[in-house]
Amino acid sequence: MIDVRSLRRLGTSMRDGLRGLRQAPLVFLMSVSTMAAGLLMLSAYLLVVQNMRTVLETAGADLTLVAFLTPGEPDEAVVADLAARFGGIDSVDSVTFVSRERALSRLREDLGSEATILEDMRENPLPASFEIQLIPEARTPEGVRRVASRLAEADGVDDVRYGEAWVEGYARVLRALEWIGAGFGGCLMLVLAVIVAGTVRLAVYARSDEIQIQRLVGAGGLFVRLPFYLEGALQGATGAGTALLLLWLAFSSALPSAGEAVQLLLGRAAPSFFGVTEIIALILLGAGLGVGGSVLSLVYIEESP
Amino acid sequence: MIQMYHVDMRYAGGAFGLRDVSLHVERGEFVFLTGASGAGKTSLLRLLFAAEAPSAGQVLVSGRNLSRLSSSQVPQLRREIGVIFQDFKLLGERTVFENVAVTLEIAGASRREIRARVWSILKRLGLGHRLDHRPRALSGGEQQRVAIARALVNDPPLVLADEPTGNLDPDLARDIMDIIADAHARGTTVIVATHDPTLLERYRHRLLVLEGGALVQDNAPDSYPGSVRRAVSTSA
Ligand SMILES: Nc1ncnc2c1ncn2[C@@H]1O[C@H](COP(=O)(O)OP(=O)(O)OP(=O)(O)O)[C@@H](O)[C@H]1O
Ligand SMILES: [Mg+2]
Repeated sequence: MIDVRSLRRLGTSMRDGLRGLRQAPLVFLMSVSTMAAGLLMLSAYLLVVQNMRTVLETAGADLTLVAFLTPGEPDEAVVADLAARFGGIDSVDSVTFVSRERALSRLREDLGSEATILEDMRENPLPASFEIQLIPEARTPEGVRRVASRLAEADGVDDVRYGEAWVEGYARVLRALEWIGAGFGGCLMLVLAVIVAGTVRLAVYARSDEIQIQRLVGAGGLFVRLPFYLEGALQGATGAGTALLLLWLAFSSALPSAGEAVQLLLGRAAPSFFGVTEIIALILLGAGLGVGGSVLSLVYIEESP
Repeated sequence: MIQMYHVDMRYAGGAFGLRDVSLHVERGEFVFLTGASGAGKTSLLRLLFAAEAPSAGQVLVSGRNLSRLSSSQVPQLRREIGVIFQDFKLLGERTVFENVAVTLEIAGASRREIRARVWSILKRLGLGHRLDHRPRALSGGEQQRVAIARALVNDPPLVLADEPTGNLDPDLARDIMDIIADAHARGTTVIVATHDPTLLERYRHRLLVLEGGALVQDNAPDSYPGSVRRAVSTSA
């Protein structure tokens, strides 16, 4: 039943919540600090994972699969056939044929002044190959592996190469980090909710006389609970905001001096902070934890005076 | 307004608060409830505003069956009942104004309405100059009046007063009773629990006598000259 009176009641109830907060600012501050510390760990972790994911995506972008043909000069019909076949695979974006001569001249370019070592060779030792680029959506370790096996099945293909070793290793590390993060984040969130529950419990005790009287003159359950939900939400949101601020300060001040370590981790990808969506999501997460904690502490609130 | 049929009320430990009480109170009536300490006066009042539930029998208040009232319907019932508690139950940290305003806030009244009504009732009760004081800083009689103001400010159809003149000197007691009589004159149904015989003699109203949780007498306003002292002392 939403009417003017209910809305006014809502307003009064919220004001009571803020009053409770003013009455015990120290308890509130302590709870916010704990919350901030916990969420700082969590968001730092998330930031690392986010950046590593970016690396994987960037790496995927210049990922090329190379299908080497069986040694010897390939038959033109076979080349045309393979080109059509590879081009027909779903996630393949482009197929480029690299003839043996082309491969040799590239090698010569790459070697530069060292190219003289090629002079001694009587014949071109390099096989012909196809270079295959994938559409962006398919540039994942799984996507690459799937296409690679399709390429390898084709007659006339000797071997398929791609940056498998490091891409897969990196992806595996990232996946592990994500799992560890999920487990550790879950525990952390539970702990934080319990901490908020404790603070709210204190606030409930501090206001128990008031609650009793409100009940006696006809306050409904929501009217009594709402101030505490509000207090929990405020604690959580403030904690999350503080955590993000600290993380951002650390991010922007420590990054230049930690260049090498970061480069080792990220390669050429530029480190980035959370976007607006992630920031809003984290603050909502904090508020949600706060409300969760309040709910937890109000489960046993007495119904009758 | 109030109907009770063979109501028993037991406390958690098994002690009887009320035993087989049957009772009708009409809209607009003024009823005294008396009996020795422990006779069940407070128990009866608590039953009526749903702070306790009957363990047997039926209780109807304003047409609502209290044994079938869900916990979400209790607040609505309480908003229609003004209760003056034996121990006042004021908030020491809040101002007199805030203590009285809580009733209207919970009823969802507008700010302006709250200000006007609280101010007017406190002025009527001679507390117009005490609005911003804390109850701690008030005398017992003043605190009592704040408690009464909180119960009456919403013009509830039913007022339950538990020893509203307890521990007050006779002059103050008369003031308080006048205020309650005033509300009654405006159509409010009133139940006053007291074990003060002088009060019962001065104001002639229907008189219920409880003893050991049972209703042992139900006297019409004009039918108990001289019986009050006996009624109260026999049950004492
Ligand atoms: N919360 C409680 N738990 C258990 N027993 C109670 C409780 N409250 C009251 N009683 C018992 O119920 C009986 C009636 O008590 P009640 O408070 O209704 O008496 P009363 O008439 O209001 O007394 P008084 O004049 O002292 O206020 C008493 O025997 C008392 O001991
Ligand atoms: Mg009593």
